[in-house]
Amino acid sequence: MSLPQNTGKAAPFPRLSIMLHWIMAALILVMLFVGLFMAHISSIHYAGLFTLHRTVGFLLLLLVVIRLINRFTNRTPPLPADLPSPMKLAAHLSHILLYGFMFALPLVGWAMLSAGGYPITLWGGCHIPPLMGFHPHLWGALRCLHSLLAYGLILLILAHIGAALLHGVIRRDGVMGSMLGR
Amino acid sequence: MARSPHSASPARWAAVILPPLCLGGFLAWSAGLLTPASISPSHFMQRFHNAGAPNTGFRRAHAKGMCVTGWFDPSPEGRALSHAGVFKGEHLPVIGRFSLAPPLPYLPDNPNIARSLALQIRTPSGDDWRMALVDMPLQSMRDIADAYAFFKAARLDPVTHKPDPEAVKAYAAQRPWLNTAFEQAKAHQQPSDLTNDTYNSLDSFILTNDAGKKTAVRWAVQAKEPFRPAEGSGANDGNYLFKRLVQTLDERPLSWDIVATIAREGDPVNDPSQPWNDADQKVTVGTVTFTKAYSEDENPCGPMVFDPTILPEGISVSQDPLLALRASVYMKSYATRSAEHKTPSMVTPNDVANPTLTSDEKGQ
Ligand code: HEM
Ligand code: HEM
Repeated sequence: MSLPQNTGKAAPFPRLSIMLHWIMAALILVMLFVGLFMAHISSIHYAGLFTLHRTVGFLLLLLVVIRLINRFTNRTPPLPADLPSPMKLAAHLSHILLYGFMFALPLVGWAMLSAGGYPITLWGGCHIPPLMGFHPHLWGALRCLHSLLAYGLILLILAHIGAALLHGVIRRDGVMGSMLGR
Repeated sequence: MARSPHSASPARWAAVILPPLCLGGFLAWSAGLLTPASISPSHFMQRFHNAGAPNTGFRRAHAKGMCVTGWFDPSPEGRALSHAGVFKGEHLPVIGRFSLAPPLPYLPDNPNIARSLALQIRTPSGDDWRMALVDMPLQSMRDIADAYAFFKAARLDPVTHKPDPEAVKAYAAQRPWLNTAFEQAKAHQQPSDLTNDTYNSLDSFILTNDAGKKTAVRWAVQAKEPFRPAEGSGANDGNYLFKRLVQTLDERPLSWDIVATIAREGDPVNDPSQPWNDADQKVTVGTVTFTKAYSEDENPCGPMVFDPTILPEGISVSQDPLLALRASVYMKSYATRSAEHKTPSMVTPNDVANPTLTSDEKGQ
């Protein structure tokens, strides 16, 4: 076994982690655009967008479970040793938050439609069982929570992209490359 | 070694800051934040509020109502049109909600108001068919832009507490394509009661049968009770329409036929403001029978949503733009009111238990 070399360059992530990261990143961006559009712009495409939102949402729930299992069973390259500790803390904290929001958003989507008494059908006609019975007050609260979580996730993602670019363009410490497979 | 941030050029810093900023901008744009002219469900909520809808837990439209329960019995003709589970032949439970169309939960009943009926029919295997119907013959809007202008014209004048008749006239005058809809509305004879009224989907739906054949239909929930005109039927009780419905249900069950009008070549399927050919075939797909009434404060029909796009496999939405709009606006109204503290409904549990007409100060 070789110890991680303290060269200031981070080792790359495993293949599976990189694939999961970029597939999920693309799908989450699609979900954010579709969700914001359907909730805020009245259009004739509502039903189609909503079906897409539910279907990709459940796909993401599945992927985030796989990803969390992968995260705990697979190696994660350490951050560069010379990264100031407040930045290390921010990195770890923001990653925990990203996982939390990615997991909570589809779960809250599922719970809120269940509480509201909406049938949940995916693209292709697959029926998802409700997580709970009819609770109209809970539906109102969870619908609100879904929006807040989505806005929180947007801020986290923007900060995450900024931080990745900071590593890649300013510090040039190999952290960005570790998720590009370099 | 990592480079020190102090030695980075402005171009590098721009490469760090601009990408997230641009993405944030695109996201804001997709939420309509950068296009003030776009129409959103929240804008509709504002228009309903201006038209008198309070923020005390009621529906933003069709706010005053009462629940009923009963049964649906499908006909074999329905099964030939659609393979939906609701038409398989089972005797199925129904929840219904009778309502007055305006956004005013405390509106006293009177003969001149449009009335509505919402239904939910469910099968034990989880099929769910919801309908929201009104007693108007045609829709007085044809698309999202019309709907937005229509509810603007419904704004209550802060002084008179009534819509401005000039705004309503201007809405109609600017839209010659709605002439037929307004003419038919004027010619429509209002029946005396909720019990002998006929309620229409206006929007169309697509039925698919076992062979995969698709049929475009409009629904009517057609009264079986004899027609009597509304003139002179107003009682001096603000809930007379609902109380008379309760009185009848206390004596006997009440039935309506669910009738599909089958579109023929040339019928405007995606425009609820235009009439279809009078000679179109009409098929009775089943009968709903109500047996019991409840105040909406003591029945799930009160809090739930009758979104007409919640449909079982075998029935689907047409390309009618107003159906797409209704799905999103009903969801917004439903989410908003569900998070509010609701005040008691005007038709109280006591009115349902004891539906004697009394002359109250709210009556006409
Ligand atoms: C990672 C997964 C998800 C993301 C990123 C996401 C994102 C969003 C966003 C950004 C919105 C708009 C919020 C607003 O501005 O009010 C939204 C709305 C919504 N989402 Fe999701 N969502 C996800 C999963 C789900 C799932 C799994 C469901 C349901 C099964 C769901 C159901 C809804 C519904 C019903 C709305 C409201 C639409 C409306 O108001 O017309 N979401 N979502
Ligand atoms: C074909 C035309 C329409 C028909 C037949 C119709 C019928 C109905 C009925 C019967 C209800 C009451 C449902 C219940 O008792 O829960 C209702 C509710 C409602 N309608 Fe419509 N409607 C039509 C078009 C529209 C349009 C175009 C809009 C606005 C964009 C609209 C906005 C609403 C709202 C906000 C509610 C309250 C939803 C809730 O909170 O549950 N309706 N409609």
